[in-house]
Amino acid sequence: MKVTIKKWNAVGTWRWDLPEDDVCGICQVAFDGTCPACKYPGDDCSIQSGKCGHNFHMHCIQEWIKQDSAKGQCPMCRQKFEWNDQSNKNRTVVAV
Amino acid sequence: MGGTFTSSNLDQTLRVSYQLLPTEGTSAWSSRFQAKRLGKELQKINNGLPPGIELVKADNLEDWLLDIRVLDNNPLYLNQTYRLKFKFSSTYPIEPPEVTFVKDTDHAIPMHPHIYSNGIICLDLLGQQGWSPVQNVESVCMSLQSMLTGNTKDERPPGDEEFVRANRLRPKDIDFYYHDNTV
Repeated sequence: MKVTIKKWNAVGTWRWDLPEDDVCGICQVAFDGTCPACKYPGDDCSIQSGKCGHNFHMHCIQEWIKQDSAKGQCPMCRQKFEWNDQSNKNRTVVAV
Repeated sequence: MGGTFTSSNLDQTLRVSYQLLPTEGTSAWSSRFQAKRLGKELQKINNGLPPGIELVKADNLEDWLLDIRVLDNNPLYLNQTYRLKFKFSSTYPIEPPEVTFVKDTDHAIPMHPHIYSNGIICLDLLGQQGWSPVQNVESVCMSLQSMLTGNTKDERPPGDEEFVRANRLRPKDIDFYYHDNTV
């Protein structure tokens, strides 16, 4: 018997390539959720990784870093927070 | 997370639909942030707090009450429960909460060289300099609990009487001088 596939539907989902129960320390929302300002997770509410190894929602860490009292430091370890530009590598597509 | 991706049945291309929020002013943004963050904290608190810490009241987004007890046998705080009041501004957790001990018929102000007799606490963590937005109600309670646990001095900060009489500033506006890291 020969089967010809006439059409097929692909469904995909994704999550950030971070431990599943990891939350943003600033808003305490899971990384797969959004920061409190956004409605939908994804590129518009991305994750910012610091060179110190700590991750935050980009909007959350920006809100903190613009404070004078932040002194440019990571809220977790108080090292200078330096953007790690490869944050998109954290995104993994998971097939379902 | 429904609605993040929609896939077209016909051309099998993934289409990503994002709905952007209308631009909000900073104050709207931060109060929304504050409400969500406090909601998350309350959720976690309702799942359990460390021993010696209890939630008393958290029915709004402005002020909460929590009780703390010292767990070891420190004679200064034996069998005492102390009540903490947390006041949250709309910019919490970017800015620290205002945390003070409450004095009422059932609760005294714990004796400590960094705690004034009116309940105002001098702790770097609670000031603009020492605060970090990854701190939260639970972690502040634990810090205060351990600050009491480690204390052996049955005394108030120097100048307590004068400070309590004259101070009209809110705790966060007081420029404490954190000079003593031994207590």
